[in-house]
Amino acid sequence: MTSPFELLGVPSLFALDEQELEKRHRDLSRALHPDRYAGRPSSERREALSRAISVNEAFRKLRDPISRAEALLSQLGRDVSETNQPRPEPSLLMRVMEQREELSSARRAGERARVEALAAQANSAAYEATERMADAFSEDPIPVEQVLKVLGELRYLQRLKEEAGAALDEL
Amino acid sequence: MLLDIFDPKAAPRAIGIDLGTTNSIVAYVRDGAPVALTTCDGGALLPSVVHYGSNGAVLVGRAAKAQLTRAPGRTVASVKRFMGKGAADEETTRLGAVSFATPQDDEQARSVRFDVGRAVTPVEVSAEILRSLKQSALDQLRAVGGAVLTVPAYFDDAQRQATKDAGRLAGLEVLRLLNEPTAAALAYGLEQKQNGLFAVYDLGGGTFDVTILRLEDGVFQVKSSGGDSALGGDDMDRAIAQRLLLQMGAGDERVPEVVALALSAARELKHALTNAAEASIELPAKAGATIIAKLSRDELDQLIEPLLERTGKACRRALRDAGVEAGALDGVILVGGSTRVPRVRSFVAELFGKAPRCELDPELVVAYGAALQADLLTRDDAEVLLLDVLPLSLGIETMGGGVDKILPRNTTIPAGARSTFTTYADNQTGFELHVVQGERELAADCRSLARFSLRGIPPMPAGMARLEVELSVDENSLLKVSARETTTGIAQEISVQPTYGLSDDDVERMLIEALDHGEEDLERRRLVETRVEGERLLLATHKGLASDADLLEPAERAEVDVALSALRDAIASAASASPVQAAIDRLDHATHVWAGRRMNRAVAQAIAGRSVSDIEQSVKHADGVDAHVARHRGTAP
Repeated sequence: MTSPFELLGVPSLFALDEQELEKRHRDLSRALHPDRYAGRPSSERREALSRAISVNEAFRKLRDPISRAEALLSQLGRDVSETNQPRPEPSLLMRVMEQREELSSARRAGERARVEALAAQANSAAYEATERMADAFSEDPIPVEQVLKVLGELRYLQRLKEEAGAALDEL
Repeated sequence: MLLDIFDPKAAPRAIGIDLGTTNSIVAYVRDGAPVALTTCDGGALLPSVVHYGSNGAVLVGRAAKAQLTRAPGRTVASVKRFMGKGAADEETTRLGAVSFATPQDDEQARSVRFDVGRAVTPVEVSAEILRSLKQSALDQLRAVGGAVLTVPAYFDDAQRQATKDAGRLAGLEVLRLLNEPTAAALAYGLEQKQNGLFAVYDLGGGTFDVTILRLEDGVFQVKSSGGDSALGGDDMDRAIAQRLLLQMGAGDERVPEVVALALSAARELKHALTNAAEASIELPAKAGATIIAKLSRDELDQLIEPLLERTGKACRRALRDAGVEAGALDGVILVGGSTRVPRVRSFVAELFGKAPRCELDPELVVAYGAALQADLLTRDDAEVLLLDVLPLSLGIETMGGGVDKILPRNTTIPAGARSTFTTYADNQTGFELHVVQGERELAADCRSLARFSLRGIPPMPAGMARLEVELSVDENSLLKVSARETTTGIAQEISVQPTYGLSDDDVERMLIEALDHGEEDLERRRLVETRVEGERLLLATHKGLASDADLLEPAERAEVDVALSALRDAIASAASASPVQAAIDRLDHATHVWAGRRMNRAVAQAIAGRSVSDIEQSVKHADGVDAHVARHRGTAP
């Protein structure tokens, strides 16, 4: 299977240039979007649709630090997913658990400002973990175990971010 | 009636239609600029009201609107709010004058049906409006090609499918369903030629949408969309009408004529308050008395504040989803008739921290965008592209009633994703899947789209079978589901049961019923449509040969040439659709591999399009994983 990096024609890097990635996606969309094939034979339209779907899927993967890391690890021969990777350290788990509890109490109390503060905290923690991930991927050789640890951390922070977002949706 | 689509002397023109809750508009592009066509009412706006006369005659537009207070039971307004809704939908319980037919079975319960002397579905009512617009376009353009229909960005799959069905029923070739805010942005963007980040605030008669999008190099990339497909000017009218009903001394029992009168008076007051600080209207009250109902702008503002708060919430979420702050926006665009209400304008200005723009008529701008998109789709030199997003997450119900979100909201479309499920009992040979759309955690709180059953899984222990389900959405945000069992690779029979809306058979039956000579007319129409498709294909193939003939092997080229002349002959001589269709299929087959190569070429050109310095940059940086893989290949665990 073609890697998302190959599909979008960008280097296999964790620290991707986001603007370059978006430009590439735009250029490929121009070439493959079904609107470009509106008057064409049906099999050609189907083919363009499925290619456009693959390009969008690859773009989605590369924009998200978690799936981008997974794609890179997969190239290194380590296929990981949420269920088969080392768990993060207990101290992180404790911290995330506390924050989730605080979040749900703020949510119940309808305190928007507190939920917003927690969401901002989760965002900056995720940002910081993403930076550490980028550092790890820039080392040679790539410290795979280290990457996996940060990846686990990111997953927890991502879920926290999602919960904070869902809480904000309601308030 | 349907052969009028085809006037062999006139070149068919693609049209754009804004099928609105309150008014509908048809537009096309003339000399590069969108123009609204005159409807049967003499202006650009056709009231989206349909009246079913007791003599069987159907009225659309202003004539039907005049019947709203006279014969409310036979007149349907705001049909858009019922598109894709089931008989038990909450919308049927809101204040209104029309009555509903009681469903006799589950099949009927899948769609709302209005009781207008007979039972009609929202799809049929909408088709009447579309038919009238198509006729107006035909009168002025002589031949109509395909049509782009607009839908609220926040419409779910069932609502979109219903809109498409209405187009089909009206005898339109639906080229595309286009999101209304995106259409408006297209009209503005092409007019202003300005790159940047924009918010579109679209408050119509019955629906609210907010879209955040970036315009860059001719690509309109939607970052996020949000909204409420049951929130709009109608709800303002209802809030005012509730107050008027109290003043009129109307009891809890809702008399359709009285409700229709109160709603109509509410609309009048609301419109008057756009330019005045106070307005009044004379209304009948109990025991033959009349009252003067007064409403001030302050009072109106108070009545609509809760509705505006709901739009504010959706806007904040859309900004968050797009990952931008309001301060980063280059502009805010107002769309929809309800944005004429002064409080709506000031609310939007406060919300986004900048004065909104409304240089283009907020009631016409969506139709303009639809016309522009219709024009883009029929040209192959188009430089402009719309990249839209899925408005609501798509998922599959899990054991225990949760939702496995396979495609999250605001994913760029077309999109597809897979998820794997397994059997939970030994020797389980079938599998039920429930596809839902929405953001809530429980499947029961989301919108049910369809149930799928898979049969023919070979017997094996629980947890052994691997069922890979793929959800994909096309450029119209319409869903397709496929599934396969991956351990054996055995193909499954899938049967689909949509939760809401009409089946293809229903639409086909209605189509035949709507024609004067049923089957016979339908066959003639198919021939016409197939011929048009064949002509288009000939044109596209010749253009392809002009640019990419070098990608064909000589034997393939010979095959293409034979298929081309066979299609030309079939178009000229066929008396029914099937020989033309067969020739189309043959050409399609002969060009299929070539089409793939042409796509590869287009992709290679897209990738090579970047500047030399970009390439040097990426070469320098490519010392990352690629190098690592090269050095450690085979040694990784």
